[in-house]
Amino acid sequence: MKPLKIGITGVRGVVGETFTPELAVGFSQAFGTYLNSGRILVCRDTRPSGPMVQASVTAGLLAAGCEVIDLGVCPTTSLQLAVSWLKAEGGIAITAGHNPSQWNALKFVRNDGLYLNSIQAEELLDIFHQGEFTKAASDRMKSSVDKQDAITYHIERLRETFDVELIAAANLKVAVDCCNGACSKLMPQWLRELGCEVLAINDDPDSPFPHRPEPKPETMAQLRAVVKAGQAEIGFAHDADGERVGIVNERGEPLSEELTFALATRIRLAENPGTVVTNVSTTSAIEEIASAYGSNVIRTPVGQAYISESMIEHRAVIGGEGSGGVSVPELHPTHDGAAAVALILQGLASSRKPVSELVGELPQLTMLKHNVAVEPNRLYSVLQNFRLAVEDEQLTIDVTDGIKVVLPHGWIHVRASNTESMIRIIAESRDPMNAQNLLNWVRDRLTK
Amino acid sequence: MRGVIGESLTPLLLTRFSQAFGTYVGPGTIVIGRDPRRSGEMVRQAVIAGLLSTGCRVVDIGMCPVPTIQLLVRHLKALGGVAITASHNPAEWNALKFIGGDGLFLSGDNAREMLDIYHQGEYTKVPGTEMRGLENLPGATDRHIKTIIDALGALPATVRKLRVVLDACNGAGSVVGPRLLEALGAEVIAINVTPDGSFPRPAEPLPENLGALSAAVKEHRADIGFAQDMDADRLAIVSDEGIPIGEDYTLVLAALRVLNHQTGSVVANLSSTSVLQAVADRFNSRLFLTKIGEVNVTQEMQRQNAVVGGEGNGGVIYPQINFARDSLVGMGLVLHLLAETGQTITQLVDGLPRFSMLKDKLPCPSHKIGAVLRMLRTEYATYPMDLRDGVKVQLPKAWFLVRGSNTEPIIRVISEAQTDMEVQEVLEEVVSKVKRCLAA
Repeated sequence: MKPLKIGITGVRGVVGETFTPELAVGFSQAFGTYLNSGRILVCRDTRPSGPMVQASVTAGLLAAGCEVIDLGVCPTTSLQLAVSWLKAEGGIAITAGHNPSQWNALKFVRNDGLYLNSIQAEELLDIFHQGEFTKAASDRMKSSVDKQDAITYHIERLRETFDVELIAAANLKVAVDCCNGACSKLMPQWLRELGCEVLAINDDPDSPFPHRPEPKPETMAQLRAVVKAGQAEIGFAHDADGERVGIVNERGEPLSEELTFALATRIRLAENPGTVVTNVSTTSAIEEIASAYGSNVIRTPVGQAYISESMIEHRAVIGGEGSGGVSVPELHPTHDGAAAVALILQGLASSRKPVSELVGELPQLTMLKHNVAVEPNRLYSVLQNFRLAVEDEQLTIDVTDGIKVVLPHGWIHVRASNTESMIRIIAESRDPMNAQNLLNWVRDRLTK
Repeated sequence: MRGVIGESLTPLLLTRFSQAFGTYVGPGTIVIGRDPRRSGEMVRQAVIAGLLSTGCRVVDIGMCPVPTIQLLVRHLKALGGVAITASHNPAEWNALKFIGGDGLFLSGDNAREMLDIYHQGEYTKVPGTEMRGLENLPGATDRHIKTIIDALGALPATVRKLRVVLDACNGAGSVVGPRLLEALGAEVIAINVTPDGSFPRPAEPLPENLGALSAAVKEHRADIGFAQDMDADRLAIVSDEGIPIGEDYTLVLAALRVLNHQTGSVVANLSSTSVLQAVADRFNSRLFLTKIGEVNVTQEMQRQNAVVGGEGNGGVIYPQINFARDSLVGMGLVLHLLAETGQTITQLVDGLPRFSMLKDKLPCPSHKIGAVLRMLRTEYATYPMDLRDGVKVQLPKAWFLVRGSNTEPIIRVISEAQTDMEVQEVLEEVVSKVKRCLAA
């Protein structure tokens, strides 16, 4: 079975297999129909299939009577911010985020700059399946596509949100790996505006991804070398659309992606205590940090749309996920690599401590992640069997998203991936041995 | 592949046809261009998506005449081209015209093969990592103009510049016609050269649509008026007296100029005027007549190594420059004829034998066309007959052609004779026979 996922995070698949131009045209017609035509923004990351997908999307939107504004290559957040700036009805970001180069995806953004929530995604899917799209007559069809620079606007908004002078005064030397992705222009420019000395690598959007566009320790070898050789205070790694952030400390050591949000939360709450929103599979270090600052934590299902809506509902001061996404609500309640970087640099500047020391002050937990590939037609029955096995043991389960079980020495979380046909298993404990035992505990019950 | 935007011609259909074309020609360079219709941008995006997904490298030359695309396919040694235009159809239409690596439209077996791929739906899918990009190539029309000037030269210096009025119908010729005329050394007055997707007149350059041009020619005392259609492949002429001389005469005058300089045969379609035969006879050239359709003419021109050819609807093909109906080439040839002969359009037309042509069309369901044609074959069995495209009969003082339309449920009747009265008689006779047959 070839991978194609249509769900809350949009439409995602492998180009050359399931992700065809017809699919992109059809979903764009459906989206244009869903938003009653109107102005729609389109941006993309730097994958080789980007121009093909963008042409499909533009054709579908124009046919549905939309006015299309082309933002070119830019981070997804730039598009999300530009939606209100340009008074658009919505947007489509063409990016498969952290997925490898052969993948691509459509992410649908509504008129408040947030992703469609699960109900809206269902409605869109219904229109797609019904196939009854708005067909603009030729005299109502827009005859051209305008371009706008969303990156400059994004940087303006960042400048209003963060303490640029504080960071600039610290004269930090910062390395950044843009993975030749959508943030190749924005990130180095933003860091320079923050007064940093910038060591940028892989910042050519016309070159292929130098490594898997997922900011995890195993993809950060180049960045580590640059931090060490350049004696940088910190290194940042980004995914293809500039949403997630991974960190290399001043010694050139890569941090687990889980620590990005934990560090950001600590820095944020120290200045501004309040509600924190994160998903059920993110480290429980977040609760420990929050309680130290008298703050509370709201847990949502996995997916940015849930985080964003919950942040607004609970007036959260920060939101984020263990994958390295951080949302700062003064900018936008959606993950933004540039905002995460600014927040962390603000923490470095105000504490005058090195990254390793700041991270050393965080709760020390061991999290293990494991993925099990499952054919799409068995995915949910495997999960259901696991749930029944756990329930047989009289354990309390949290079904916010998948199955989460809190056990005496830690917790486990098992769920279907939103983006690929696999089951994701996470186990966390203060003790590394225990974490491994928890993982084995899950595996035993999954294979039954 | 033609349809109405907002109805049958959807982006999905356009993408699939482009995927089928990309699959058919293989992963190489494809040149695309479009006319100024409002839906052109949507269609262009759908075409780019389909072509890129099959691994083609897409070179977009922007808004330009169809013959510019055909020329660029050959200049860039591309594997093919896609022209986005519904030529003379009204504004709500659009269409894709597929061009092979030789710069000719796909036809016959080639078109059928591509259609098979479309229906089978098994398109080449290139992996996302190997997909190629879109390239914008500016200056394609400059290259077209240069090719024409290189072949024909600027107009010979005369006592005064030729004064030309151009009506580009706000079409694809708007961006290039005035520049070509200036490069040739003519004085240009241009009307309807705002390519914004509006149609200032019906796009076909028929005499009844050329009122504004005729008035402008008279007002400016111009030597000639030129009218193009939306995609700038067809050309009609208004005389120095402000009278449309009929689309048939465009090819006649172009052929006159070519045969003045070159020896060789001429190719036209079955419905072309007998004036063309007279011109060919004057130069002892052979005239070959083909089935109707540009590609039939161009293929026959290649077989006969013809020096000029075209169609009676104002399409001039001059292979030394372009194997395509090309209004720009037509303008160059006719202006050179004026300059070289020192005669006016009126004098040139008066110097040719006079024929009178009449056309009519009757609604006819496609399943009845066969019966009509069989009836005519029996009724006129004693006269010389050409059955390649409908029925063409050579009567003693006239000819007529009856054929089913390729695009609409109608049957077309065309007749030509030396006098108005003779042609009127023949047309009435044939039309009444057809009507009787349809009523039976």
